[in-house]
Amino acid sequence: MKYNIVQLGCQMNISDGERVQQVLDKMGFTPTDSEEEASLLGVIACSVRQKAIDKVYTKINKWNKWRQKKSLITFVSGCVLPADKEQFLKTFDMVFPMSELPDLPQMISQYGVVTQAGMRPLDKGLEEIESQKEKSDPQMEGLQLTATVPSIGNPQNSLLKSDSSIEDFWHIKPKYGSGFEAFIPIQNGCDKFCTYCAVPYTRGREVSRPSSEILTELKQLVADGFKSITLLGQNVNSYGLDKKGDELSFAGLLDSIGAYGNSIDQDFWLYFTSPHPRDMTRDVIEVIAKYDCLAKQIHLPVQSGDDEVLVRMNRKHSMSKYREIVTDIRELIPQATVFTDIIVGFTGETEAQFEHTIDIMKEFKYNMAYIAQYSPRPGAASSRWADDIPKEVKKERYHRLTGELMKHSLEYNKKLIGQTYKVLVRGKDRKSGYLSALTEGRLIIRFASTDEALIGQYVYVKIDSATAFSMEGQMVEHAYAMN
Amino acid sequence: MQQNNLHRLHDICHLTDSTYILRIERNNLEFQPGQHILLGIAGTYEQREYSIYSGTDDTYLEVLVKEVEDGIVSKKLKRMKPGEMLNIEGPVGFFTLSQEVLEQKKKLLFVATGTGIAPFHSMIKSIPDLNYSLIHGTRYGHESYGQSDYDPERYICCSSRDKTGDYQGRVSAYLKEQQFDADTYCYFCGNFNMIKDAMGIMEQKGISQEKLHTEVYF
Repeated sequence: MKYNIVQLGCQMNISDGERVQQVLDKMGFTPTDSEEEASLLGVIACSVRQKAIDKVYTKINKWNKWRQKKSLITFVSGCVLPADKEQFLKTFDMVFPMSELPDLPQMISQYGVVTQAGMRPLDKGLEEIESQKEKSDPQMEGLQLTATVPSIGNPQNSLLKSDSSIEDFWHIKPKYGSGFEAFIPIQNGCDKFCTYCAVPYTRGREVSRPSSEILTELKQLVADGFKSITLLGQNVNSYGLDKKGDELSFAGLLDSIGAYGNSIDQDFWLYFTSPHPRDMTRDVIEVIAKYDCLAKQIHLPVQSGDDEVLVRMNRKHSMSKYREIVTDIRELIPQATVFTDIIVGFTGETEAQFEHTIDIMKEFKYNMAYIAQYSPRPGAASSRWADDIPKEVKKERYHRLTGELMKHSLEYNKKLIGQTYKVLVRGKDRKSGYLSALTEGRLIIRFASTDEALIGQYVYVKIDSATAFSMEGQMVEHAYAMN
Repeated sequence: MQQNNLHRLHDICHLTDSTYILRIERNNLEFQPGQHILLGIAGTYEQREYSIYSGTDDTYLEVLVKEVEDGIVSKKLKRMKPGEMLNIEGPVGFFTLSQEVLEQKKKLLFVATGTGIAPFHSMIKSIPDLNYSLIHGTRYGHESYGQSDYDPERYICCSSRDKTGDYQGRVSAYLKEQQFDADTYCYFCGNFNMIKDAMGIMEQKGISQEKLHTEVYF
């Protein structure tokens, strides 16, 4: 029996999707890129914009039409607002929060699909599946459709009482989408309540994953040869705060990882995203400076350069606090690249306020900024306010800010010409005959090569030319000789 | 993931036609004064954030609610009957007094508009001997909710639409007329425009930005 998952949204959803795939694979399902071929269809939903949720409705409407010709099971999980959940309960067979993923085999078994792993509730997540699978015939697919799939809109499975928690979800070993890059979720949820964001209403409160599990997963990844590992969380640097002293702080977690990196004879780059400026402390930056394996790249969302706008966004930090953090970064890790997120055209943003954002672009000289034109996100507080900045003005601000970003990123990149950098090769470049790679600071470098065996390897590239968002160079040598 | 906890409504105390206190069974919920909860009617999915109004040692959990004209949740909450159930998530939030402020008994300026007085009510009820001044902006004097809970020497009601407050006019006008020590820690809660104006005024009076704390009601 084949499955297809539509993944929408951020890195967190991609990471969640890797765990969903693992559950389905362990049940004996096989993945397919074709929705038409699949009997089990799922969506990992995103509520960041209405457009993303509209896609979910489009998908399920299409899939439900197919039911006239074939038996299907459908599910939706991920970031779903309560109002949408009500609607999805009527159209999907299963609607469940990610924390209930360990119960998915049980839910599916209620639709008449018999699998070795899916006959009874899981008490201990996928470890249970693993042990059952090992005991069964490894050649046996263990799957058959024994009954007609119940009609759509049966909310029975969606309302299963579950004792599962996000901690159980984290126990599931993901099916990593790459052999050299991986995400490790370390924190889930958000307590910050930015007015433009719906995450606090879709993912609930901040919960930190036990550091022992994080370190175990990290060590396994490093042992398996992964070279780029990213710690994930909605507020990744708020890690540990919910445990009130019973867990490592974020700086403490990084320190443990750094010490591990120092203790082994193997290179990896450790990243994290996204931190919140409110909880960004100097000790985090000190730890990053201290260890080679902690990548010298910091993504620090600012959202606006204007204090009044920040208050309206309920960001809980001022520009002076943000400035202190950037000053600390420049002082302690001068080689670090700094990325940010910015929203232009937020409700009520005046021209003068936008100019303050232009000013900080000049001041902080970001290497990269992910700039979004504001659009109300259903469920977020600001969606109840007038979206009063015309589209053309948002667009114009977007282009002006991007232009300012490009000036500084180009200036920075040009200074790298002639230098040789260690880079991680990620895949084929869009430019034919070239491979694409990232520096430790996550700057894009392409170089002429068709040797796909280099993908997933460190190599050294001497930079010949630069544009605002990428550079080009020549490979000097393989880096694995250095490891 | 989101944990919804059911709490029984004990009663509703109507303060004005549009403002009321929900008194809710606490179920051992612990909080820091100044924090807020997410609150909705059990069985519905709409939730809103409300600052906790009651003190940390009070038997019941209380929130102060202003009925919003085009609102959904505040209207439904107002019609609830004692015994009905609420979903509560939390507490959450960072609008609290730091250990440093408490231990060093810093001079505190609390400035609120309307139901933005709720976190200050909780702080004052919970923490004895706070060295505070509380400036409360209302439209009318009778909207000075819970006035008797505050030391009259420390409380000023600024009523902007009648003369029944201690001061006639907006909070911002009152603040402009006063002198403040540069060491005053300022906390603002309520309407965005008040907070924006008040922050500007206090900065002009020489109070540094790190001593200004805000909780905007949206």
